[in-house]
Amino acid sequence: MNRHESSPPAATPRRRRLRFAAGALAAALVVTACGAGSSTQPASTAPATTATATTDGQATAGQASNGAGGGSVGSQPGAGASGSDGSAAPAPSGDPNATLNVGFVAAPASLDFTQDSGAAIPQALLYNVYETLVRMTPTGEIAPLLASKWTVSDDQKVYTFTLRDNAKFSNGAAFTAEDAVFSINRVKSDWAKTVAVAQGMSTVAKAEAVNPTTLRVTLTKPSQSWLFSMTTRIGAMFSRTGVAELATKAVGTGPYLVSANQPNVKLTLTRNPDYWGTKAGMQTVNFMYYKDPTAMNNAELSRAINVISSVQTPDQLDQFGDTAKYQIIEGTTTGEVLLSFNNSKAPLNNKNVRQAISYAIDRKGLLDTVWAGKGALIGSHAVPTDPWYTDLANTYPYDPAKAKELLGGKTYTLRLRVPNLPYATAAAPVIASQLQQVGITVKVDTLDFPADWLTQVFTNADYDMSIVNHVEPNDLATLWGNPEYYTRYDNPEVQKLLADGDAGTRDQMIADYRKATEILADDAAGVWLWAFPNLLVADVDVKGLAKNQVSESFDLTGVSVG
Amino acid sequence: MTSSNSPAGTPPDPTLDPTRDPARDPGPDEAPDRPRNSARGLLIVGGSIVGLVLLTGIVSFFWTPFDTGYTDLANAKAGPGTAGHLLGTDRLGRDIASSLMAGARTTLYVGLVAVGIAALIGTPLGILAAMLPPRWSQFVMRCTDVMLAFPALLLALMFAAIWGGGITTAMVAIGIASIPSFIRVVRSGALVVMTSDYVQAARVAGRSRWGIAVSHVLRNVAGLVIVQASVSYAIAILAEAGLSYLGFGAGLTTPSWGLMLQESQSTLRSDPLITVWPAVAIALAVLGFNLLGDGLRDRFDPRRQR
Repeated sequence: MNRHESSPPAATPRRRRLRFAAGALAAALVVTACGAGSSTQPASTAPATTATATTDGQATAGQASNGAGGGSVGSQPGAGASGSDGSAAPAPSGDPNATLNVGFVAAPASLDFTQDSGAAIPQALLYNVYETLVRMTPTGEIAPLLASKWTVSDDQKVYTFTLRDNAKFSNGAAFTAEDAVFSINRVKSDWAKTVAVAQGMSTVAKAEAVNPTTLRVTLTKPSQSWLFSMTTRIGAMFSRTGVAELATKAVGTGPYLVSANQPNVKLTLTRNPDYWGTKAGMQTVNFMYYKDPTAMNNAELSRAINVISSVQTPDQLDQFGDTAKYQIIEGTTTGEVLLSFNNSKAPLNNKNVRQAISYAIDRKGLLDTVWAGKGALIGSHAVPTDPWYTDLANTYPYDPAKAKELLGGKTYTLRLRVPNLPYATAAAPVIASQLQQVGITVKVDTLDFPADWLTQVFTNADYDMSIVNHVEPNDLATLWGNPEYYTRYDNPEVQKLLADGDAGTRDQMIADYRKATEILADDAAGVWLWAFPNLLVADVDVKGLAKNQVSESFDLTGVSVG
Repeated sequence: MTSSNSPAGTPPDPTLDPTRDPARDPGPDEAPDRPRNSARGLLIVGGSIVGLVLLTGIVSFFWTPFDTGYTDLANAKAGPGTAGHLLGTDRLGRDIASSLMAGARTTLYVGLVAVGIAALIGTPLGILAAMLPPRWSQFVMRCTDVMLAFPALLLALMFAAIWGGGITTAMVAIGIASIPSFIRVVRSGALVVMTSDYVQAARVAGRSRWGIAVSHVLRNVAGLVIVQASVSYAIAILAEAGLSYLGFGAGLTTPSWGLMLQESQSTLRSDPLITVWPAVAIALAVLGFNLLGDGLRDRFDPRRQR
């Protein structure tokens, strides 16, 4: 009877085998699909997700040449923040054998920021593994790193760097001016075209090694931002003999070495015993990656990690109220959370529609609800620590009636395509609701970040609106000076101001950049929702983490435990 | 009817019936009165819960206390009863009662499509498996076994990885994953019908196989299909909630109970009620469909109708 179904002894092993095979097939399919998804990730300047590096004291994100720049803004007294003083090589104290586990939300696509974009790679590797000629100090000044000093010619076009003679790459090779020339030329020749920040090197006419410790760089035109960009990932120094397997093998001169990498899970750095400067403060640092912010919070609560590099759920901060165990560090970043528009496409090429949207959004209410009121309200593409910042937050106060008037009774349907990042998915429903009130129907969809979002929104500009935190410091010209950028904003006046400012003196630059931000605000080229705060939670015994994030790096120099 | 595959004159082993609950389901020999009464109770309770869900879903098309998706920022995380919000608001100030009503709509829709796919494909295949020659019948059943190995959630995740998440992907995946149970249930019922005297008579009278399948077999297994649909509906609701919770189901602004659960995660410690409401809704709906399924099964059970 029913032999095929009722004889378990015979049927079961076969069925079990079948089930196993089917399961394996499913797993294989899933893996393949995921792999395909992430490998299509185009490199670009990664309006990245995380507020990252932390620094202490005052912040002057920006163009400080020779550290003389003005515009520093006093920061709030540190909420338990302690640590480095902004000198180039602070001496870490504490337990030299310590291990530090730091939690992050966005994992690096590879170890190679010359080909893959995303803020997560320089976040982990810059200053820690790769070093630059000049670095951004925690106080936002440009300071010596691999170059011990530098001079600028009177016409502002020739930079002469004196290099350290005792720096060594982790493959054993000494760092010389030839490596610097190689690294600078490589940005133009070998970096992926889609890594938009590589444009920062386009003003370089030639780089030459005068002798092993002297490097001379000639620019095509004076550029305020060039030296600044040398503190970012494009200024990273590579070994001429160490770039064969950058995606998996990082060869740098920094205080840490990459000792292990489990993609999307954990990146392990260990102290570089041969480091030329002050040795690293900890033996091992693990960068732990969590897709889910709640999981990251729980990891901190259960001591699996020691630091939450960027709190993604500010309304859960009360979990860490125990000051005997945790310190909460609150400061600023260079990130602007932008409701971006596809400025080239109807109806958002219409200034009235953009202005109407700006009037329709209650940014104060949004910030209070979505990000627990942490962060500052801004009205253009500048954060309060930028030298050219002016308070434009009230350019478009919340006024739904005015918004309706500007729309003139018309209704629209717009697509809001957001990355699956906590701030974006929280803000999107609020935006949709508020625009609904003035007659704009918003269709929200979520895209996987980085892969899908970068392909569809960033590269193909297949969107009407999106929400992204633009974390890169000094990114005004990148976003708004280039009509090919995903915002598709083409305004010759702004482009001219940004170009002139870059080529002019520092004062001229500040004036021009300020004017550009004012035009952007008036033009409603986007809605700047809020300036992203730097929020960290750390065990109390972690020292040297600092308040404000001014560079691309989660800078471990100066951090110690115990 | 000579193969070992056709259980001449014997009903299929009741332990093979996937919908059978041994704890509650008495054997066919027991007195019919008691199960009939309990079946009525189950039917009433299950039916009213399902009716309630259905009603809120339908009403939400015309009326909800607040617009779904409207974010009352001034009253975010408000408790029940505050500022006209019957059950309070979530962390973005959306009215929970309204979201629950609209979520019922999504849940019913997903369940309907998923179960529809499963029933429309599974029922004919089940009848076919009962009527085909043993070799082909076996082939169908082994394919069913392979499909049974894929849990609905895993299948949906796989689909989401290939075609992107979304409510359509979720519905199709849940539907496909539910096909095997329909095939099995319908086949076992059809095998019984195939051995009955009236089918034999119809054969002798020269009716075509197709005619027999439609006018005798399909009609007699309809009860089984309805029972299985009810049970599958409950599974579909759970699967949809699970998928939306994982971020592979309903889109960000689609009202969905699973999504509400996921979004309430960050307020679980401070405002646990925001999590409780959608959880209760899911539990209630699943319970309702399961009870309804049990009640219907007892009512339609062909073994008890003889």
